[in-house]
Amino acid sequence: MPSEIQLPRLGWSMEEGRFLGWLVRPGERVAAGQPLFTVEGDKATQDVEASASGRLVPAPDAPAEGETVAVGRVLGWLLADGEAAPTPANPGTPIAPAEPARADATAPVPPSLASPAAPISPVHAFPASPRARRAARARGVDLASLSPSGTAGRIRERDVLAATPAPRAHPQSRARTDWREEPLSPARRTIAARLSHGHPRPVPVTLNLRCDASRLVALRMAFKVRAATDPAEPAPTLNDILVHLVGIALGQHPVLTASWAGDHLRFPRVIHVGFAVDTPDGLRVPVLRDVCNTPLKELAAQARAMAGAARSGRLAPADTEGACFTVTNLGALGIESFTPVVNPPESAILGVGAVVREAVPLEDGGFAALDRMTLSLTFDHRVLDGAPAARFLQSLRSLIEHPPVQPPPSPSHP
Amino acid sequence: MDKRSPLALYRSMLLIRAVEERLALSHQQGLVHGACHTYVGQESVAAGVCAQLADADAVFSTHRGHGHALAKGMQPLRLVAELYGREAGCSGGRGGSMHLFEPAIGMMGTSGIVGPCILQAVGAAYAFRLARLPHVGVAFFGDGAVNNGAFHEGLNMAAIWKLPVLFVCENNQFATEVPFASVAGNPSVAARGAAYRIPSFEIDGNDALAVEQAAREAVEAARLGNGPTLLECRTYRTRPHAEGMGDFTYRTREEVERWKALCPIARLRQHLLDLGMATGPDLDAMAAMAAAEAEAAHVAAVASPFPLASSALAHVLAPASATPPEPQPPTRPARTLSFMKATHEALAEAMARDPRIFVLGEGIGQRGGNFATTSGLHAIHGPERLRDTPICERGFVGLACGAAMAGARPVVDFMFADFLLDAVGEILNQVAKMHYMSSGRLRMPVLLRGCIGIGHSAATHHSGSYYSMYAHFPGLRVAVPSSPADAMGLLRTALAGDDPVLFLEHRELLNIKGPVPEGSHALPFGKAAVVREGSHVTVVALALMVHRALHACSVLAEEGISVELIDPRTVAPLDLQTILASVAKTGRLLVVDEDFAHCGIGAEIAAGVANAGFDDLDAPIRRLNGAASPTPYSPTLESALVPDADAIARAIRDLCAE
Ligand SMILES: Cc1ncc(C[n+]2csc(CCOP(=O)(O)OP(=O)(O)O)c2C)c(N)n1
Ligand SMILES: [Mg+2]
Repeated sequence: MPSEIQLPRLGWSMEEGRFLGWLVRPGERVAAGQPLFTVEGDKATQDVEASASGRLVPAPDAPAEGETVAVGRVLGWLLADGEAAPTPANPGTPIAPAEPARADATAPVPPSLASPAAPISPVHAFPASPRARRAARARGVDLASLSPSGTAGRIRERDVLAATPAPRAHPQSRARTDWREEPLSPARRTIAARLSHGHPRPVPVTLNLRCDASRLVALRMAFKVRAATDPAEPAPTLNDILVHLVGIALGQHPVLTASWAGDHLRFPRVIHVGFAVDTPDGLRVPVLRDVCNTPLKELAAQARAMAGAARSGRLAPADTEGACFTVTNLGALGIESFTPVVNPPESAILGVGAVVREAVPLEDGGFAALDRMTLSLTFDHRVLDGAPAARFLQSLRSLIEHPPVQPPPSPSHP
Repeated sequence: MDKRSPLALYRSMLLIRAVEERLALSHQQGLVHGACHTYVGQESVAAGVCAQLADADAVFSTHRGHGHALAKGMQPLRLVAELYGREAGCSGGRGGSMHLFEPAIGMMGTSGIVGPCILQAVGAAYAFRLARLPHVGVAFFGDGAVNNGAFHEGLNMAAIWKLPVLFVCENNQFATEVPFASVAGNPSVAARGAAYRIPSFEIDGNDALAVEQAAREAVEAARLGNGPTLLECRTYRTRPHAEGMGDFTYRTREEVERWKALCPIARLRQHLLDLGMATGPDLDAMAAMAAAEAEAAHVAAVASPFPLASSALAHVLAPASATPPEPQPPTRPARTLSFMKATHEALAEAMARDPRIFVLGEGIGQRGGNFATTSGLHAIHGPERLRDTPICERGFVGLACGAAMAGARPVVDFMFADFLLDAVGEILNQVAKMHYMSSGRLRMPVLLRGCIGIGHSAATHHSGSYYSMYAHFPGLRVAVPSSPADAMGLLRTALAGDDPVLFLEHRELLNIKGPVPEGSHALPFGKAAVVREGSHVTVVALALMVHRALHACSVLAEEGISVELIDPRTVAPLDLQTILASVAKTGRLLVVDEDFAHCGIGAEIAAGVANAGFDDLDAPIRRLNGAASPTPYSPTLESALVPDADAIARAIRDLCAE
């Protein structure tokens, strides 16, 4: 193998040196250890010994005596008998990196102006904070239409909020008041990464479970009977009762309320539940507050007011923010089961199907006609696995089948 | 063969020479990526001294350490591969020529800084004394080191505590190009040792047998508890200071040739032949063996892979498993303790449990510390574990470094952070880098504790904070607690961990009282406390500023401004997540910091939030800092420097009105 002769580094900071000349003639044989050439570094002049034996063949572009060259520059080779000098890959390449070519003599322009691909953002009358820009983006608000109210003459988030109704709960909005964070377990992290193929997106999975809704229907009927006699006690809807029961089940299975936050889970300290309302303008999801601690009667009143506001387009932005779970019910439209879509940042949604009277086989071989209903739970598999989601559904089923709700006293017959 | 026999010494010297010559050639060939200081001409010193040592004895050396490493038993491949920057190198490619580590055989490291090895050898000797082990610490250093404070501080401490340490000065008459005679008020190194009442001997360093005998007596004396010895070995390096450097601007070819003729290897060879201990061919065969060994090391080193770039950050800190306790909910009701009492309890309890812990400081013995940090402990544990030191901060921090390297767990009680500036080189260059440079083999549980902060008219040499400066450096943890409970929890973690910790106690907080949980309450580093929840603005504050900010919070609450107050508690590591989560809620951030603003922790927090929380910001990030000035004495001047509750409240109001 030809042994390469390079300009050695004589000191740590040496980048180049002056080649002062060969100490043997080209073509002459040298032994390893014999002085071969002389180099002048920044500190000293040194005779460099041959690192191998062989015949000296200087490189075609070997430096002239006295020439300054970069450390590592190939000066030539020591060849054994019969060996030929390799052809340099790129003869005559300058060692020092060339000055980057200047396009022309015009004054440098800032890249943002120079690049046609980057349109310049419109000039606003007032600067806006990053948070305000985000809010404006989310609401499709033109910042130029706003004026600031603060001392710095900058549009802040509150200026955007004051100018516009909120379209929908936003993942980052202020309404997510109070959260507890829980780090992901390594297993959770692995499962989530595997399921989402490294993309930060939810992994929805839907589970369906049939349940016996007979008692629920009976309960609702009892409330209706009562309402008929006492207008001060309007009946909760089937949905209200369901949200109430969902609240109880969520309390038992808080992981259904968690939301995915990249490297941890966020658990709300208070459980607010959204419920889907069909309005002339499309779907609205008002939020019922603190469902675990709100009595059914109040919950129903809240829901009634909000559904009304939603249908008449008067829902306040704040009323649609802060939920950690949603209930959507297509039963009234006869749908028996469906695949609901999770509202981020929530990680689960319950779809409720129509109550259907079915013949159900009994143990004794006979049949009974029962009111049955299908629960469809869609959840984000990054946040929880199928089994805990199924256990939540089971809890909910048993709550539906044995509702822990005091039926109203039957109408009094004086 | 007895390691101390002349033939064994000869072989050891031949190996050093052969490896050095191979390395000199490799340097020219570009295989050595950095500096290469060879030991040619001085082999007799390493061979003669290391022949006395077992693996458990600890050697600390210098930039010219190849010979010491080989004589101590390092495999030539481990040395050569390190200079080639390879995975198989003795420091895994982290060190190169000047950072050679092989703790398993007592090669505790060479250093690119002249001096600290002396203090570290004294520290290892201290650790051996503490553990009642019969080992010795050995420092090799050049004539250049004896004009350095480390030499004087180290010799003095070894002398007063009669430590089992051997100081080996290789006086090769030059420090780089500077002749020793031209920079030595007293050109006798042995005389300097004697001035500290250390038995000191000047010997012919090129006479391997003389070195062997002197070293043997010195090591025996040390093992017997008779204290340190200094050997001044007169010698000469016959190659340039470092490979590739010119040699004849400061000395003549003739002088070098004269010393080459006094070659210690040739001299021992003649001796062996004269006494008939070996024949010429025997000795030639030994030389050929050594050359073959060096060549084999070279070949294996070239074949060894380079370390993976992805491993570059491994070993900056000890593995996490060794450190962070999870915050535990208090099980029993809290007691009320002062800040001082809380840390005292943590220290007292750790010392009772772990005999490797000892405390160094001025007045921390019988007196119990300037701030009662060690009150009563001397009576329990005695002077060896509560060691009153001379006033040599650099010296005793260097000692602590060496003691930690040798397995002890030193606590340096430095009183005021201003004093610690005298030891910054030891802290940053040695203590903080050692775990990394040793590729994770040397744990560095060094706890440095003392006061910071303005107040009490202490003026500018007793008031500095400095935490931002230390937090800049990898390898150090920096805790700045603001409450008795946090102080206790963080000190417990520091005392149980394996990393160097700078534990800074604000002087104005030492007497505050607060609830402290019962039981072994410990806090992880890098976990901020949300001191007060709020929704309009996030305020981050440390130490005394936490208390002042709290005061401001209550004033503002009445005005309807709801402040979330966060105390990071440790500035390294810094819990940015908690701050970001708060800013996501509030959209506004003010950092209140008693330390200077410029390049300070506030700038770091601001950069982190601007980067990761940009879209959450509804106003510019603001800082409120101590004024950029030395600390004046007079109360009116002094208080003008530090933010008070009014100033903090004003800054918050302004930010909210933005
Ligand atoms: C604190 C410090 N200052 C300067 C240097 C640069 N330096 C490296 S080696 C050296 C000379 C050391 O001389 P000496 O201690 O006699 O050792 P020798 O090189 O002669 O073996 C100097 C000044 C250094 N490494 N450390
Ligand atoms: Mg010297």
